[in-house]
Amino acid sequence: MTSARNRPEWGSNDTHALLNSDIPRVDGPEKVTGRAIYTHDIRLPQMVYARLVVCPYPRAKIKSQSYRKARKVPGVVHGAPFKEVGDSIAFQGADGVVGAIVAETPEAAAAGLCGVKIDYEVLEPVVTPEDALAPGAPVVGRRGNVTGLSSSGDRAEVEAALSECAAVVRGTFRVPVQHHVSLETHGVVVDYRGGNEATVYFSTQGVTGSNREFASHLDLPSENVRVVAHNVGGGFGAKFGGGIEGRIACELALELRRPVHLMLTREDEFLMAGNRSGSEQRVIAGASRDGVFKALAVEADRHGGVGRGALPTPPYIYSVGNTYSEIRSVHTATDSSRAMRAPGHPQASFAMESVLDELAYGINMDPVEFRKKNLADPVYHRQLDRVAKEIGWLEHPHRTQPGVPENALAVGIGFGVAIWGSRSRDITVVDVRIGPDGSVLAATGVQDIGQGARTLVAAIVAEELGLAAHEVSTDIGDSRLPPSVASGGSVTTGSLGPSVKDGAFNARVELAKRIAPMLDAEPEEIRFADHRVFVEGDSGRSVSWKQACASLGKDPLQVSGRFQPHLRDQGIHGAQAAKVEVDLLTGRVTVLKMVSIQDQGLPLNRMAIRSQMNGGMIQALSFALFEERVLDKKTGLMLSGNLENYKIAGCGEMPELVAIIDDEDTREAVMGMAEASNIPGHSAIGNAIYNACGLRLREMPFTPARVLQAKGGMS
Amino acid sequence: MNTFDLQKPTSIEGAAALLPTSSDSRQAVLLAGGQDLLGELKDGLVEPERVVNLKGVAGLDAMNWEADGSLTLGALVTLQSLAEEPRVLEEMAVLAEAAQQVGSPQIRSVGTVGGNLNQRPRCWYYRNADSVCLKKGGTHCFAQLGENKYNAILGGGPTYIVHPSDLAPALVALGASAVLVSPRGRRTVLLSEYYLLPADDGITRETIREPDEVLASVHVPVQRQGMRSTYIKFRERGSYDWALSSVALCLWMSDGMTTGARLVLGGVAPTPWRCESSELLLVGHAVDEQTIRRVVDEALRQAEPLSDNAYKVPLTKGLVTRALQTLAS
Amino acid sequence: MTPDDRSPSEQDELDELSGLSRRSFLKGAGGGVVAGALAGGLAQPSTSEGVVPQEASAPGASTVSLSGRHQIALQVNGEQVLVDVEPQTTLLGALRHHVSPPMTGTKEVCDRGSCGACTVIVDGRPVYSCMQLADDMPGHAIRTIEGIGTPDDLSPVQEEFCRFDGLMCGFCTPGFIVASTACLEKHGAPDVDTIKRELSGNVCRCGTQTHIIRAVQAAGESGVLKGER
Repeated sequence: MTSARNRPEWGSNDTHALLNSDIPRVDGPEKVTGRAIYTHDIRLPQMVYARLVVCPYPRAKIKSQSYRKARKVPGVVHGAPFKEVGDSIAFQGADGVVGAIVAETPEAAAAGLCGVKIDYEVLEPVVTPEDALAPGAPVVGRRGNVTGLSSSGDRAEVEAALSECAAVVRGTFRVPVQHHVSLETHGVVVDYRGGNEATVYFSTQGVTGSNREFASHLDLPSENVRVVAHNVGGGFGAKFGGGIEGRIACELALELRRPVHLMLTREDEFLMAGNRSGSEQRVIAGASRDGVFKALAVEADRHGGVGRGALPTPPYIYSVGNTYSEIRSVHTATDSSRAMRAPGHPQASFAMESVLDELAYGINMDPVEFRKKNLADPVYHRQLDRVAKEIGWLEHPHRTQPGVPENALAVGIGFGVAIWGSRSRDITVVDVRIGPDGSVLAATGVQDIGQGARTLVAAIVAEELGLAAHEVSTDIGDSRLPPSVASGGSVTTGSLGPSVKDGAFNARVELAKRIAPMLDAEPEEIRFADHRVFVEGDSGRSVSWKQACASLGKDPLQVSGRFQPHLRDQGIHGAQAAKVEVDLLTGRVTVLKMVSIQDQGLPLNRMAIRSQMNGGMIQALSFALFEERVLDKKTGLMLSGNLENYKIAGCGEMPELVAIIDDEDTREAVMGMAEASNIPGHSAIGNAIYNACGLRLREMPFTPARVLQAKGGMS
Repeated sequence: MNTFDLQKPTSIEGAAALLPTSSDSRQAVLLAGGQDLLGELKDGLVEPERVVNLKGVAGLDAMNWEADGSLTLGALVTLQSLAEEPRVLEEMAVLAEAAQQVGSPQIRSVGTVGGNLNQRPRCWYYRNADSVCLKKGGTHCFAQLGENKYNAILGGGPTYIVHPSDLAPALVALGASAVLVSPRGRRTVLLSEYYLLPADDGITRETIREPDEVLASVHVPVQRQGMRSTYIKFRERGSYDWALSSVALCLWMSDGMTTGARLVLGGVAPTPWRCESSELLLVGHAVDEQTIRRVVDEALRQAEPLSDNAYKVPLTKGLVTRALQTLAS
Repeated sequence: MTPDDRSPSEQDELDELSGLSRRSFLKGAGGGVVAGALAGGLAQPSTSEGVVPQEASAPGASTVSLSGRHQIALQVNGEQVLVDVEPQTTLLGALRHHVSPPMTGTKEVCDRGSCGACTVIVDGRPVYSCMQLADDMPGHAIRTIEGIGTPDDLSPVQEEFCRFDGLMCGFCTPGFIVASTACLEKHGAPDVDTIKRELSGNVCRCGTQTHIIRAVQAAGESGVLKGER
């Protein structure tokens, strides 16, 4: 049900016919039948397949190279190096791309790759922070191996405060480098066959404007290059620009004048498509006997390879009396970090939530109570109480001291909280067209990376017009459509939603104007619901949706929607709890249950929000138990560069998940929420391990090896 | 993957005749289920001119119960059919449980007994084509001083791989033997003698199988009455993973006393690791706390962990404890 | 692109090769070309110059040898499909790149049998199509995602995936649907532990696993008998 106003409003959260309910994905049937086409799936006449020649070492010099044998492989149409003999590779990742093979088939390209012979002089790899900080270490970045040092607070004041604390915790917290592992690897299909135009199929989180980057590579006017991303197989922050693979594909297409399919292999993806930076955080923290977090000193290193890495400034979410912090980037000759779901936050969360927990137990205080005492925002209080109740904390036998395991099995519960800005951008334009046949099309350049953008567009329009979501067609994922926002940092909902709402509102108002004379009413009296258009207070004066649209005559009704700042808000919280079982005989940590609560203003699609929350918990579980990039310290060779060795959680690891939408958030505005649900899960798991058995694991992942090491059960 | 010719002989002798006489994987490699070999080909660990495909040999996928109650498994019996065979489930739980826990359903649909027993190691350095390690004809075992959390704690040196097979510990525990066919004829060897420690000429290979030999079948003898058995596999990732450590245990008990035992460890040594001295400590005793402690201590007595895998010692002790408690209860 | 190491003569050679990229070439120990059937399947030269099944010399007198590009017949979703492959072509590669039109519903993710995105059903069992040589497939019944429901006529488990949101980006989804279908056909109405075990060879990164498990359970409980499709 919608009412006439002079500007679009969401209305209160309990007045929606469609929004704020479970709305199945409109593209679900395409995806569950394998009909959805991704960049990987693009097939074009005369298309060739490119494979990159990638140096496996972080630092090396090319002693000799030959592509002769590769070019003789039947089906290979091109094979050439990008670097000369004597050239150096300065770091693993983009600089390690030393050549390319192009062939008629993927098999021929792979066989061609086998024929490339390169002899490298392997240089000191600089893959660990210790390597980078060692005296005389090769300099990795232009500005040295340590950059970006920032400090805040007064160390002396923190020291003074610590001396008065009842509990003081000292610990070094280590988070390994994690990979995004989008199941569709990075890559493009560049359809350029000579001439003045090109189409680029691109697995990206940001379609709008990406044509400019490819146009520059192809030396074409940007309006002559069209970028298409109808479906994207995951991004998680790593898929914005076209990268070196995008540039090379363009160059190959220019040279060969044939469509070039260049998708990274899984191995390449691990080597050069980004990662979540690791960190080492050396922490001293203190609390008073009555549960006040008095003092905190943090020295932290970001491990972003040749990139900067990310880490928010302490004390992160909590209120602390005195804080001193010193953060820097320590650079290794490894692939640059990229944004990954809530960049920096899971790392900060791990150290802060662990310290919080240690302090609480240090003064024999319930860690939930301790958190609430040191969180000013009351939203956190209600959220922590809710997850504590749901996970069974109130009945849990040991809340202020860890448990004493029986039969080597121990059960524990832990907590963590989240924060996210959920900002938005004023960029999206949405075209809405209503046809005389009753069809509705909403078009904008946004991309669906799995967050459900397509469904969100359809549902908002359907709500406004009294239709079902699947009755609204959408056209998205194309740079020639009206502009929209790149999907990163949970900005999509807040940036897209208001424009869609505005477009739908304009369409409704315009249609009402056309219908009003038919129903002998004023346009302001016209309402849309349940496939009918009627006069408010007089349901007898009504026409069906189809009849209403037929009155448009020959021409469709076309309007546009633009960003309306009052329709979005920002700033969200979130809390999670985890219940684990620790097997002290084997070191196995089994996550039994996780609970997440999330506020986000108007929950546009409750099902999609629960999916994001569950996805956040599952990724956190996977990060907590398994994920870690491993490089050989002597050579820098990547040892974890496949899905066998870089392990992500499978169905067997799935706990009971409870995703709670915080309906006490009554803001009549929209904002994204995904990042927040990725932040505290692994911290809650680490805290649950301690609560179970008294083992405090300060390094992730929490593998059986680490549990057994911590237990000191070595013989 | 490089280009190769695919040869499909129709007899086991024909297959053996197509294999090289020296250990030169550039000439030809043997394909059974392919779940290991295709990975090796894709990773460029082997770049053969020819792949000899055993699937053209009729009858190699047969599972036969002999009149005496023993079992003959053709090399191409799939892991899934082994895992689901009712008599195996009933009479040789250790073997069924091992087969059930190999890889994933998709692997078990296709993976074979022969392939599982002859698969190559998963050591990170061995599997990295750019790492010319000792196992691949290089000069150093990089795992020894490198990243070795999954490597051997027993029987290592000069290489430190662990044998990745789940079936092998179970079959060794059952006293199984393998039939090998070559142009020189056929021979039968106990599986307990099939695998080679690195120090016993097992550096670039894991078994005594000659380059031109084909493992045609495995024979599992009939077991003494009253056997209880189990296979416990511990995976870092429960869903789908290799064993960090595994235990194959067969136990015979009478009046609360152990009358016989076979204990074989997987995932901790370059071969299935038989613990004969531990078995002896079990015989004649009740499976009580004290006996269990003596048995597990003895089983791991010779363990020499590397920098990152000492956890495998308590882990394996824990698993042996669980296996003994399970079968004795 | 930076200058490469090609000399002019190499370039000529390259141009020549590129024109011949689809050629097949004769190889093998034996003599005459066998144009007949492979064990359980069909193999034919794809071109008059092309080659193919060969007889090796004794003792493998009946050894078939495949070399270079050749044609095989696959039984996909109940239909015979002729496809040009090479010995190293995997079933996944054949489906995605060589059948016409390409069947891209089956996804390539890890290419090493670690993730399940390429799962197809062969003779009733789930397999990783990336770990199967196409040449081993003639004579076997292959079912792919394209053979399990259409957007307008979803299979029961596909409907439940949509209902429980068992998908987000959708890239793992076809593999999960196929593995789930195999699971349901085998177990009828599986319990949660069985579902977890049967789907343990598939991974999802967006984090839809719990929804998938619920969807498969619901599809089983809906009473649609196994083997319906």
